[in-house]
Amino acid sequence: MNTQRISAIFEKDLKDFMKNMMLLMMPIIPIVLAVVYSRLGEGEELPLVVIYIVVGVIFSAVTTSIMMTMMAEENEKKTLRGLMLSPASFLDIIIGKSLVTGLMTLITLVISFSIIGFGPILNIYTIIGLFLLFLFFLFLGIGIGLFSKSIASTSAYMMPVMFLFGFTPMIEFLGLPEGSFGLKLADNFPLMQVMKVSDTGSWLPLGVVTIWVIGAALFTLICFKKTKTDD
Amino acid sequence: MDYAIEVQGLKKAFHQNQVINDISFQVKKGEIFGFLGPSGSGKTTTIKILTGELVQKDGYVKVLDVHSQKFSRANFRSRIGILSDNSSLYERLTVYDNLKLFCKLYHAPLEQIDVILHEVDLVDARKKIVSKLSKGMKQRVLLAKALIHQPEIVFLDEPTSALDPGNMAHIHRGLQKLNEAGTTIFLTTHDMEEATLLCDRVAFLNKGELQEMGSPEELRYKYSTHAFHVETFDGKKLIIENEAKNGDKIRDLIVNDRVKSLHTDKPTLGQIFLKVTGKELV
Repeated sequence: MNTQRISAIFEKDLKDFMKNMMLLMMPIIPIVLAVVYSRLGEGEELPLVVIYIVVGVIFSAVTTSIMMTMMAEENEKKTLRGLMLSPASFLDIIIGKSLVTGLMTLITLVISFSIIGFGPILNIYTIIGLFLLFLFFLFLGIGIGLFSKSIASTSAYMMPVMFLFGFTPMIEFLGLPEGSFGLKLADNFPLMQVMKVSDTGSWLPLGVVTIWVIGAALFTLICFKKTKTDD
Repeated sequence: MDYAIEVQGLKKAFHQNQVINDISFQVKKGEIFGFLGPSGSGKTTTIKILTGELVQKDGYVKVLDVHSQKFSRANFRSRIGILSDNSSLYERLTVYDNLKLFCKLYHAPLEQIDVILHEVDLVDARKKIVSKLSKGMKQRVLLAKALIHQPEIVFLDEPTSALDPGNMAHIHRGLQKLNEAGTTIFLTTHDMEEATLLCDRVAFLNKGELQEMGSPEELRYKYSTHAFHVETFDGKKLIIENEAKNGDKIRDLIVNDRVKSLHTDKPTLGQIFLKVTGKELV
């Protein structure tokens, strides 16, 4: 790992991000959603489910989507090859890109929460939970981006990520019977676990989210190994 | 002998398809070495192995005294430069920003950007967005990118393919200057004129096998029929074998002032390639 190389990749990706309309539009989606939901609340504090739908959209539409699109574009334009053949390591490249994605996620979170209110997230458990969620969605973005050969193909992968992991709290609106398999399964998904942390202030759900993060990291590692062995 | 590249018994297969089949060669330090062959002959695969992009299992490969197992290390990558046929640039960024990125990745001083832009004659384009450049200019930026850290050896995979003669000449001049400064150049091309102009030695690769190697001059001599080609003022074209018994015949032509031109037969590299492999270079 080399800080000068990481900062070079960060600087390049930030400049490139600012000139990429497609990526610049990504943070707009959750911010607009936050504005719409804040209007519905008519001054009252929003239900936790609604707040976590915004959080889910931020992480899927900003964190995963930006990372995935940046990686896929590097693959499609063959610029990733140039970076890989330079003295920069894969870790330098990923950290540089993750810092840009992290910065954009943080800005979107701050703007969205300043609209819907910071109240529900201002505790250490939730902040750790949100950080773990960031890592989970980031690893998904890196992994999918590595095997996506074009930007166009990322939209096909984006949908399941968004519906499964970004919109998980919406399962409550589907009217499934209490104790059903679908509800039990969704209850263990990372976003629902962080929601539980906000609600109960317990450490246990953070353990479950950590397992999801490890799983996503392994997924990224497998995708990396696969791209390395693709002759 | 100081070698920049040493390859012994190199083989590479993709699934059942043997792409490189037991090739061996050495490239001396400071040499321009041309690796010539038609599309699909294994040139790009060889370059990918020599630069560490592909891993080989069979054979011995050393570049700048570094064994192929250590090609992924940063200090090896800092010593080589690569320009391949599918190298590309960040299209939304300026020429300067593209070169700045690689300057920083290679820990080269930023002043080097202006030096290299001057060498590829792109000083006026430094603030231009890459997507607005012509193909020839982009290729010169790619060459600048490959050379920004002053590598000891440069691998160039078809550096002038599809370029107009002006841009091609620009790149050729740049490569000659680079070589004069001591940089070793490993060049793949199927342009025989380019190889003849630039290379100290060439190797012919066909179906993954090395079929001939030597300096263009040596090869042209080796495959020459050594006959004299004579054109007379009355329009006759004669081929006279280079044998003692034909001495008088040639002398008579000269004495009688009939010779418009006289030269020995020297085939072009393209003709030699055709002779050796039975294939034209396309």
